[in-house]
Amino acid sequence: MLCPARMRVIVDGLSKTYRDRSGQDVVALDGIGLTVEPEEFVAILGPSGCGKSTLLNIVGGLLGATEGEVLFEGARPAGQPLTATVFQEFALFPWRTARGNVEFGLEELGLPAAERRDRATRFIAMTGLEGFEGKYPHQLSGGMRQRVGIARALAVEPAVLLMDEPFSALDAQTRTLMMEELLGIWERTRTSILYVTHNIQEAVYMADRVVVLSRRPGRVLEVVPVELKRPRHEGQMGEPGFVQASERIWGLIKSQAQAALVEERR
Amino acid sequence: MSPARRVALALPAGLLAIGLFVASAHAASLVKIGALKLTSSAPLFIGVDKGFFKEFGIEPELVFFQAAAPIATALATGQIDVGATGVTAALYNIVLGGEQIWLVADKGREWPGYPLTGIVVQKELYDGGLRSIADLKGKRIGITTLGSTFHYSLGNILEKSGLKLEDVRVVPLQTMPAAIEALKGKQVDAIMLPQPFPGTAEAQGFGKILFWAGDLHPWQTVAVFFSKKFAADRQRAVAFMKGYVKASRYYYDAVLVQKDGRPAPGANYDDVVRITARYTEARPEVIRLGFPFQDRNARLLVMDIERQMKWWTDNGFMKRTIPLKGIVDTSFVEEAAKAVPEK
Amino acid sequence: MAVERVAAHDRAAFLRRADHRLLRVGALVGLLVLWEALTRVGWIPALFLPSPLGVIRELGEMAASGQLLVHLEASLRRLLLGFAFGAVAGVAVGVVTGFFSRAEAVGQPLIAATFPIPKIALLPLLILWLGLGEPSKVAVIALGVFFPMAINTYAGVREADPLLVRAAVAFGAGRWSVIRKVILPSALPMIFAGLKLGAGTALLLLVAAEMIAADSGIGFLVLHAGNIMDTTKLMVGIVCLSLLGVLSHWLLTRGERLAVPWRHTS
Repeated sequence: MLCPARMRVIVDGLSKTYRDRSGQDVVALDGIGLTVEPEEFVAILGPSGCGKSTLLNIVGGLLGATEGEVLFEGARPAGQPLTATVFQEFALFPWRTARGNVEFGLEELGLPAAERRDRATRFIAMTGLEGFEGKYPHQLSGGMRQRVGIARALAVEPAVLLMDEPFSALDAQTRTLMMEELLGIWERTRTSILYVTHNIQEAVYMADRVVVLSRRPGRVLEVVPVELKRPRHEGQMGEPGFVQASERIWGLIKSQAQAALVEERR
Repeated sequence: MSPARRVALALPAGLLAIGLFVASAHAASLVKIGALKLTSSAPLFIGVDKGFFKEFGIEPELVFFQAAAPIATALATGQIDVGATGVTAALYNIVLGGEQIWLVADKGREWPGYPLTGIVVQKELYDGGLRSIADLKGKRIGITTLGSTFHYSLGNILEKSGLKLEDVRVVPLQTMPAAIEALKGKQVDAIMLPQPFPGTAEAQGFGKILFWAGDLHPWQTVAVFFSKKFAADRQRAVAFMKGYVKASRYYYDAVLVQKDGRPAPGANYDDVVRITARYTEARPEVIRLGFPFQDRNARLLVMDIERQMKWWTDNGFMKRTIPLKGIVDTSFVEEAAKAVPEK
Repeated sequence: MAVERVAAHDRAAFLRRADHRLLRVGALVGLLVLWEALTRVGWIPALFLPSPLGVIRELGEMAASGQLLVHLEASLRRLLLGFAFGAVAGVAVGVVTGFFSRAEAVGQPLIAATFPIPKIALLPLLILWLGLGEPSKVAVIALGVFFPMAINTYAGVREADPLLVRAAVAFGAGRWSVIRKVILPSALPMIFAGLKLGAGTALLLLVAAEMIAADSGIGFLVLHAGNIMDTTKLMVGIVCLSLLGVLSHWLLTRGERLAVPWRHTS
């Protein structure tokens, strides 16, 4: 990247209430506060319905908050957006090729064709999509599709990369490989990442810190730091630092998860 | 069974049998006649109205159609026994296609001095100077269908003035009422229709009769046809023809007799006008404008048939002509004309 | 308990459907042969149902003389013009009513009220307004195509995947970008379905219009041949109409495959 953005994200007293199908008020998030430092990899984890996706959408500008605010603080070169999102269900445009999808955000930024092409090529290479850029999403496997999703988000060079359970839709083996890849890419780009997941191992493996949310209404139970050296590798999964962090997190949410299991869906 | 009982049973059985016989005889002599509500059908209306057919043992049933071609089809399928309508390409093609129908008698000719089909132009165009056939060049001319008698008349009239069908825009409008409406609504510049429509158009003020087709090109236009089955039933066919010949004479003597070179009302003129007005549902003043010509004894102009077939063939409506004996049978009208006494 | 040894066998075999390609072709050929034979023997009167060979011969003659081309050209011109007008108007209205709620509130009831009117019934009215020439014919075809296009496009727009819309907005797309780049491509399968529906209606209306006041065209040919009792020519007209229908369907299916490679609806 030529001139990466270095921004800190500050979430302060963020609450979100909405009206459900039967007309009742539902509090999805209640007074969330957290920060993401520049170049930091932060995971958000919690049981079903804890509002983690809602939180991500608010940070990403796709939802409004009922109370509180989200602030971005720091240096940002002109033309670089605050956030870009990678979606769980990939959300690729089926009528565009892989390259076409990667270039989408660049089109909306108003970049000229030549520059779009060059940038797209760079990120296509970075995500291992070389040779596949002419293919349509329906011709690609799940893992490849998410690579496109990641390339598309990275291509706009956001200050913060938002990832909403990006690997949940993939099988376990592909997931593991993709996690390694993502870490490799992150090592190179060093964008701040806000990573939502429900998988404890995934959170601990990838993140610097794990923000653990309660079930609805979502509150921050604890922020668990992960004391593992970078670059991360598979072997670390047996280390005490990994196990401790995992157990700590599970301890926090086990009872929450059990309650969420029997709760009616609203 | 006792004799008394036998008689008692035989009586109702006998009555039933007689009843059935009479009913079937009645039904058997019912003759379906397909016709159009035009002045040219007047002899038929006369025959029905004045009981001339009944005189010879025929029960006539008039079946009305909207155009000539469907009458031809109905004849071919035997839905009607007698068809009284324009001689069209459809008719010839039915015979060419392998279904037999017979041309047997005259029922109307385009003839000089006798109005049948008129070329009616928009009043405004006439006032604006459209006066001759040559003036029709490039104009839209409404007829019922291509292949109709009007199409034939138009084509021959144009050719006589040195024009071709391609020099005008022929607009097929399917039915006669539709053609009148099209002239009224100025969607066509002129129409070719038979009486009483031209008279009506002039009376209502939106049209002007330019010419009568018969003055420009005389020909055997309307005829009486027999279905194959009816023609084979010689006795009834001739009986029908006798009634028709009688009606033809009545018609001729009433409306076609000439005085000082023009047709003038003859015997029973008002009666014929009344009958015609009633069946065509047109106003008597319009009917009085003129009656189409036909032979007094309803004889056909046989040679013209050959000329017609050649014209249709030359213009691509028929693949080839038919030998006359394959389509014309004048024996019925000859036999009837001889048999019916002059009153 | 007796010990047994039983082989598994395919109990679902009766559910599978084979192609029977030979039977398909054979049935059609067989029918034609039977028809030809019955006409020759005289069981079918030639006037009422001309023989297939006779029809083919007449077709050849009409093609050679150029007659057929005149009629085909007239019909195709009306069909394509009417189709173009109806389709463009229909897609535009469909997009606007699908995307803008006010337009929907105004447009939907109007469309619902006018759609059930059989367009053939409007033909005399159109002739009154537009005359006996080409405009009334093109107009009635356009109307017949407009409604399925508007309704189907509307449905396609409403059906657009909200996730994809969200993704587009997440990458900076505004209202018109969303319509152009997400809604319209999304709606393409439904649009093609509408085109196919419209094609059938268009052909029907073409024939109706040509039977009322025309001097050229396949519909006119059918009517005219019927009027002069040339049943062989009549059959040629019917065959042409059938071919037109088959051809347009085939073209649309191919077009759909090219334009919508990520989904097959036929």
